[in-house]
Amino acid sequence: MQTAYYLILVPMVYAAFAVFVLGTAVRLIQTARRPPHPTTLQIFPKKEPAWLYAVADTFLMPSVLRHTPVLWFFLAVFHLAVLLLIIGHLELFGDWAVFQVVPHEVFLGRGFVGLAAAVSLLYLLVRRFHAPVRDLSVPEDYYLLILLFLTVIFGSQMDWARRWYDYDVMGVGAYRAYLWSLVTFKPFVPDEILYSGHAFMLVLHVFFANLFLMVFPFTKMMHTFLALPMNLLKRG
Amino acid sequence: MDLQTREDLLKLFQTKLNRAMVYYLETCTRCGVCTTACHVYQSMPQARYIAAYRAEIVRRIYKKYFKGQGKVWPAYGEAKELTEAALQELYDAAYSCTGCRRCMVYCPFGIDTQMIMSIAKLLLVGAHAEPEILTLLADTSIEKGRSLEFFKEGFLQGVKNLEQKVLEKWKMEAEGKTVIPVDVEGADLLYVALAGAHSIIPAAAVFNAAGENWTLSFFEAVNFGAFVGDPTRTKLILDRIVNEALRLKVKEVCICECGTAYRVMKQLSGTQPFKVSSVTEVHARYLREGRIRVSKEAFRGQAVTYHDPCQIARNGGILEEPRFILQHLTDDYREMAPDPRYNYCCGGGGGLVALGEDTLDFRMKSARVKAEQVQRTKATLLATACENCHTQLSDLNRHYGLGVNVQFLTSMVADALVVS
Repeated sequence: MQTAYYLILVPMVYAAFAVFVLGTAVRLIQTARRPPHPTTLQIFPKKEPAWLYAVADTFLMPSVLRHTPVLWFFLAVFHLAVLLLIIGHLELFGDWAVFQVVPHEVFLGRGFVGLAAAVSLLYLLVRRFHAPVRDLSVPEDYYLLILLFLTVIFGSQMDWARRWYDYDVMGVGAYRAYLWSLVTFKPFVPDEILYSGHAFMLVLHVFFANLFLMVFPFTKMMHTFLALPMNLLKRG
Repeated sequence: MDLQTREDLLKLFQTKLNRAMVYYLETCTRCGVCTTACHVYQSMPQARYIAAYRAEIVRRIYKKYFKGQGKVWPAYGEAKELTEAALQELYDAAYSCTGCRRCMVYCPFGIDTQMIMSIAKLLLVGAHAEPEILTLLADTSIEKGRSLEFFKEGFLQGVKNLEQKVLEKWKMEAEGKTVIPVDVEGADLLYVALAGAHSIIPAAAVFNAAGENWTLSFFEAVNFGAFVGDPTRTKLILDRIVNEALRLKVKEVCICECGTAYRVMKQLSGTQPFKVSSVTEVHARYLREGRIRVSKEAFRGQAVTYHDPCQIARNGGILEEPRFILQHLTDDYREMAPDPRYNYCCGGGGGLVALGEDTLDFRMKSARVKAEQVQRTKATLLATACENCHTQLSDLNRHYGLGVNVQFLTSMVADALVVS
């Protein structure tokens, strides 16, 4: 069992990051090297400065707010939660002064950020089972939401265990040791991670996250990088 | 479908895959925000009329042949083979979409469904499964460009007949000038009309009243190549006019009330020594500069509303000019949509009106929301600035008993002219 854990926590993480980084870079470069569209694709009336409106369209999603406010709420919560979770994970590598502007205990948000992400993912998933979105959906849409949900739920479990149930075997110190060993290519999994009762949670969290990273460049997840250039086209 | 045909069609598909198109094909998250954008869906709520659904029909084929995902695990994104049945689906998607781009305003990424549908249309052309009449009309236009001499005499005789009508109606003095000048080298403005007196007579009256140094194009503005989604034909039809403008050394090419013609000319003609404007812009300019005067008497007692043709307004940027003109024509102007970006398509774009009776039933059913939008204004006069919109709105007027008077904006300006 420990061997399987090790395979997921070390070689698979390297593979996932390699696929994610290289895949994304290659796909973005390939797309960027295609010829541009010969005419403007903008929608009028043009608002100036167009780039600012494009940035606002991308990060605030005003059209979603206007037409489907409930969806906008959950999308906003979800994306914000993802941002905070990314910051939380960066803090698992070491101390970052910039993130400690608001002093907090790692992980950010006392466990509620993960909860918010999980709830909004459930909403997005349930919404897909109802017409008319159901008619639009393809298996990819469900798979990705389920994969993200599993990643978030097992990740959050560890946070919740520490925050809400006083579980203190696996702590931030252990994560930092593990993650730094990966960064410095001297992979090492501390015993408290490998042998603790909650190890399976970490392993499952990392496993689903690995899967997610590996499919990322080849799926609609590329909207992460393409949303802004597309809105720039629309704004002219 | 045999292998060779599929190969050929996929090569056509490949030609459409520029950067923007790949963005559009890679990105849709099928969030469904566009659901209520389409007037067809609003009028007939069926999933196949949702913008994302239409686009997915093209996207499935893209996944199958141009994406690793579709080769490794086709079920993941429901990648689909290009078959005869798929062509039928592409036809249904592309020819129930008017290319109005209202959904692009809804989409959080700004995906251009019209552009994705252009792949479907091109594949249909490649498979000889497009509406034949559109290709036929496009080829006629191209032929006219090739053998102008053959058409010239008949055209000039037709113009002579129209000149009489202009003189009768507006009692203008000819002052030794030609009422409808044709083929004038060094003219300032080349007016590209449609094959129809209504597109030439009022425009001539206004040009002459403004003292414009203009000339009428031999060619009709409409671009059937664009309707049928054939880039080669679109370009050939466009080039006839570009070459004429270059030959006559005009400073400005003015496109009549035709949405497609205006957008194609404005956005596809590239950098040229002449500028491109719509006749609406030119009329607004005449009014602003005091070159023509109009009176509100002609439309006294009428409640006026204006339908923004999608290709001219949302997709072409001519929004203020028609409103500026209407301010001079009436005191009772009523907006149809609070934000012109959200104006509904008339339901006749994308070649549907050109297909005539064949599409009439669909056009009437799919544009119910447009008819209601007109009704809500309680206007008695419905103005517009596009031939297709005018035909479709007139059909809607009959079908739904709207009781409005559908008018071209140019005709209104001409009718209201104060000739000193």
